[in-house]
This record gives sequence, structure tokens and C-alpha cells, in this order.
Amino acid sequence: MSTSTPYVPRRVSRSSESELIAQDLAIEFDDHDFSEDGSWDEYPLTQQSPVVRTVDPKNVCLVVDDASMTYRVRSSNEYKHSQGRFTRAVKRITGAGWTEVPALSNLSFIVNRGESVGVIGTNGSGKSTLIKLLTGKVRPTSGEVYASSTPVMLGVNAALVKDISGKENIRLGCLAMGLSPEQADAKYDQIVEISGLSDALDMPLKTYSSGMASRLQFAIATSVDPDILLIDEALNTGDAQFRARTKKRLDEVRAQAGCVFLVSHSLGTIKQMCTRVIWIEQGELLADGDPQWVCQQYEEYTAHKSNDRLRSAKVVYERTRLQLNPIQVDFTDGTRPKKAATSSIS
Amino acid sequence: MAAPTVERAEESEDSYESRQVAQLDGTNLIRVGARPGLFRYIREIWSFRHFLYYDSHSRVSTANSTDSLGRLWMILNPLLMGAAYFFVFGMLLNTGRGIDNFIGYLIIGVFTFRFFTTAVSGGAGSIAGNQKVVQAFNFPRACLVISSTVRELFSSVPMFFVMGLLVLTIGDIKLDGAESIPTTLTWHWLLFFPCIALALMVMLGWSLALARAVNAHTDVKHLISFGTRILFYTSAVFFSPDRWSNIGADWLVTVMNLNPLYCVLDIIRHAWLYDGFADPARWIVLASWAVGSMIIGFLIFWQGEESYGKER
Repeated sequence: MSTSTPYVPRRVSRSSESELIAQDLAIEFDDHDFSEDGSWDEYPLTQQSPVVRTVDPKNVCLVVDDASMTYRVRSSNEYKHSQGRFTRAVKRITGAGWTEVPALSNLSFIVNRGESVGVIGTNGSGKSTLIKLLTGKVRPTSGEVYASSTPVMLGVNAALVKDISGKENIRLGCLAMGLSPEQADAKYDQIVEISGLSDALDMPLKTYSSGMASRLQFAIATSVDPDILLIDEALNTGDAQFRARTKKRLDEVRAQAGCVFLVSHSLGTIKQMCTRVIWIEQGELLADGDPQWVCQQYEEYTAHKSNDRLRSAKVVYERTRLQLNPIQVDFTDGTRPKKAATSSIS
Repeated sequence: MAAPTVERAEESEDSYESRQVAQLDGTNLIRVGARPGLFRYIREIWSFRHFLYYDSHSRVSTANSTDSLGRLWMILNPLLMGAAYFFVFGMLLNTGRGIDNFIGYLIIGVFTFRFFTTAVSGGAGSIAGNQKVVQAFNFPRACLVISSTVRELFSSVPMFFVMGLLVLTIGDIKLDGAESIPTTLTWHWLLFFPCIALALMVMLGWSLALARAVNAHTDVKHLISFGTRILFYTSAVFFSPDRWSNIGADWLVTVMNLNPLYCVLDIIRHAWLYDGFADPARWIVLASWAVGSMIIGFLIFWQGEESYGKER
């Protein structure tokens, strides 16, 4: 972690600034007609025609097609950036002003059945955003995510209803996942066992410690067997006793899932569990491939970063990037999926 | 710590060299998070009916759980409101002049109005206020709004009991300047049920439309409380619509006749206080509001189905 560089959120470059720069450049290089916007240089002559590869649709679990995500966030001092006294004053009074934060840009990849994909990246690189897009909670600003069934997230961050008891939360959670009352009854004992909370189940959820609540959430979330599974790193929390109990269940769920995503900072877990690793850095796909190799690059990169060796970090970054084969998804004519999931889970 | 954006600054073209195109047949895939078709959506809500029922049921018991008097407030609140309105409008401003059984009239007005507005504002906030559940599970989001309305119905049952008891016992107390018609329990009281059912449909339709609006722009919440005020004064909660026709403001009478909440109040009052039927026009207006707002509200809500998981 670099401590000396202050945290600066990434943002869409302001048109005003870039225009100013462009004007500067225009004045300087006015007589060189080639550098207007560099457009003719965009496709250098060395470029090879793209390799077309057909993917067997039977094996495909998940397709991310050119997905980008830009958040619009309210920020209280955004008015300082707007030009013109009037708009500035208006924005200041309403406290409005929206900052656009690009979280992911033009991400494309295809995941096949049977793959376990680890997702790594430094904090703020867009991992959580990617997960949100994959579960369909948020629609990408551009591009789309397609899958063979709705991916299910296993995380401990999603809280349940605070005012009702643990018992009621279990039942409510089961029903919310689309189980019938009979199925929910059948799952009840298993959930209680995994959570290990049999004494506290009659108390309202707000009396639970955060550890207890996350255990309950985990137990409820793993009561179904999803085909596409997303596992959040936060599952690594909890005491040793709970971790031992969850590991068994997690392995079971993983074993039956068609494909698994694992988001984690623990490279050990990733190397151990995954057959493929995706490294996202600053919202862009930086590497996609063999866990050993990607993790090694990542370790080197973060080591340089944490010691403030920015130049070395950049070397690693560029080196890794060179190895990347960006993929472009192309659906055969008229087969771009439009339909919704047949049923959430069952 | 987010890394400084040095690497992004220079976009290198070298990666163009090894670009590859993956071609695939997407017939068996779905778009993640896509909104289902209208009929599928309705079917999905039906398949989540147990969730809907359980959600509304389990949360009724916990409402007001932080107050020391707990659920008693569901009855105390409209009672105190009624007493306050009786004092201000009945005694000070004397709006009850010429209304037979004014106490019963006021009780029905205040209790039912309260039921209506708490349900609508609760339903309107049910998506924005339940973001954690929305983020955690995949289910048709309309379930939350419906469950909020059903929950309000469940929790209002004791309130309606008290309302009936009060109307029976003190509703016909004679006040100055008005007649007193003794209130008795007759079969006309049963008209309450179809009337409340239609009112529920209106409430649900409005809640669905407002839930989408509130989720998109939180500012709408302020407008809701404003709209509630307007509704309060155009529903004849504490006065008789004759007041308007007496001063020649006939257009206001028309507005009131087209107001679904006024229709609800008028139907219940005729059934409970005056042992008779309200004008059939009230039923027609109320029923058209019910059907119309259900359909329009549902369509509006369904259209925005993909936007409810978005955080602000």
C-alpha cells in the first residue's frame, strides 16, 4: 500500500481541462497536420487481423461483453468544477453536482463450465463492481453480461432484516431465494447447523454481533446450490471454529457449481482453488490466465507499489499487459441473448 | 489505496497486436438481470407469494418495537389525532355543524385516512428502504411493495376494530346543531370489506408508481408528504362537502367526488353511521381508480425493474 500518495478517486477527465490541453497543443503543433487527434495512428500498420475463434456454446457459463461501469456519485464540492458563476451558485445551493467515477472500462471475457476463476486487484480497482455486474444487481453503463443462469453471490456483506429474529430471517431468506415453504423447512436444520447459532435464533438480528450475523448470512446463502457461484473474500472472516465448519459446506457447493468466481486478496487461496485468474487494475483487465504466473506478477506489482517504487511497478504493469490477449465477443447473427432468467433459483 | 493513475495515462497500442474475436452462439444464454416479460413477471410474483406473505407477516409484529407502548400506538395514534381534530375543527372552528353523528364521522375519517396514507408512504419507500434485501436476493421487486401494503393491512386490523367499537359506542353522541342517528350493527356494515379491498388496490397502484419514483429520486418523498396534505383537505375528513356547494365552489365538489379516498370515506360512513348506501357513483369512481391505478402502477413499476438494485 502506498502511503505517501494521497487517495485520488479516478474520474472522467473533465472536458474543460482536456479542451484546454488540446488548445495548447493545437497552438504548438498547428503546422503539423498529422497530430490533430492521432486518429490515423490508432491502427498501426503492424496490426494483425484479429484471430477468430469459435466457442462451443454448450460449455459457456458466463460472457462479459465489453462491459463498462461509470458511477454517478453526488459530491458536495463538485460545484467548484463547473464553469460559469450561475451554474456554480445553483449547484452549490442544491448541494448537487455529480461526479462521474469510472469503475470498469470495456471488460470482456468468457468463462467456461468447470472453471474456477479468481479475481484479484488492488483496492478500488473495480472487483466489487465486477461482482455487482455479474449478479445483475446493477446494469453496466455500456456492454452486457450474459450467463447460462443467474449467478448467485455468496457474501457476508448483504445484511438481513434487522428487526426480526434469526429464525424468521432464515425462513425469510429461504423464501426470498425462491424456495417453497416445504423446501425451506427441509433446509432449516442444515442452516442452523452451519451457522452454529442454535441458542441465539430467537433473538432479533440486531442483537447479534457482526460475526454472528455474517455466519447466519453465510448459512442461509449456502443453503441453495447455484450453478454459477460468486464467492466474496469476506467469507474468510470468522473464528477458526466457524471457518472449519464453513469450509466443508463451501467445498460441497463449489463441487456442484458449474463455474466459480472467487474474489480475494489472499493469493494463497486463489492459487489453491482457481484454474484461472483475472487481474483487474484501475478498472481495466490487466491479466487473464494461469494463476501461478498472474499471481506472481501481482505480488511483484504490489511489492513495488507498497515500497513506493512507482517506476518498477509500472514496468511490471506494462510487462503484464503485453501478455494480455484482449478478447472481443461476437455473437453469431441474431443470437445475442435478450431473454431474462427463467426462474431465479430452484 | 487506489494506485495513482500513472499507468492509465499512457494508453499503449501494443495490445492491438494480439486481439482475438470469440464467436459464439448465444441462444442458450440469458442476459443477467434482465427484466422478464409482463406475464412472466406476474407469474414470478405468484411463485414468490410465500415470501411475500411471510415478509409482511413477520414484520407486522416488530413495528413500533422501540416504543415502550409498542403496538398500542397503532390505536393510540389515530385516537389522539381524532381527539385533536375534534378539539380544533369540531369545537373551535365548528366544521361539524350540520353533520349528523359528527364524532363517528370524524373517527371514520381520521382512522381511514391514516390507514391510507401510511400504507402509501410505506409502500413508496419500500424499495429505497430495503436496499439490503434487494442487493442480497433475486426476486421480483414488486413483492416488496405488495408485501408492504399487505403488512399495513395486517397491522391495521386492530385499528379497524377499535374504529368500529368507537363508532358503535360514542359515534352517535348528540352535538349542538346536528341530529343524532343511533348507530346499530346491521348487515350494511359488511360493505366495509369490498370498499377496503378496492381502497387497497388504489393504494397498491399508487405505491408501485411512487416506489419507482422514490428509488430514482429521493426528493419525491418530500412531495409525498405535500400530496398527503392536499389529499387530507380534499377528502372531507373533518367537514362535509356541503360546505363547498354552500359557498358555490362546485368545482371543488367535483374534485372531491373524483377523489378515491373521499369515496371510501363516504361509503363507510353511509354504511356505518347512517345505515344506508352511498351514491352508486362513489362505487364507480372508486372501482375505476382501483383498476386504473393497479394497471398503470404495475406497468410503471415493472418497466423500472432493472433499476432497483442501483445504489445512490
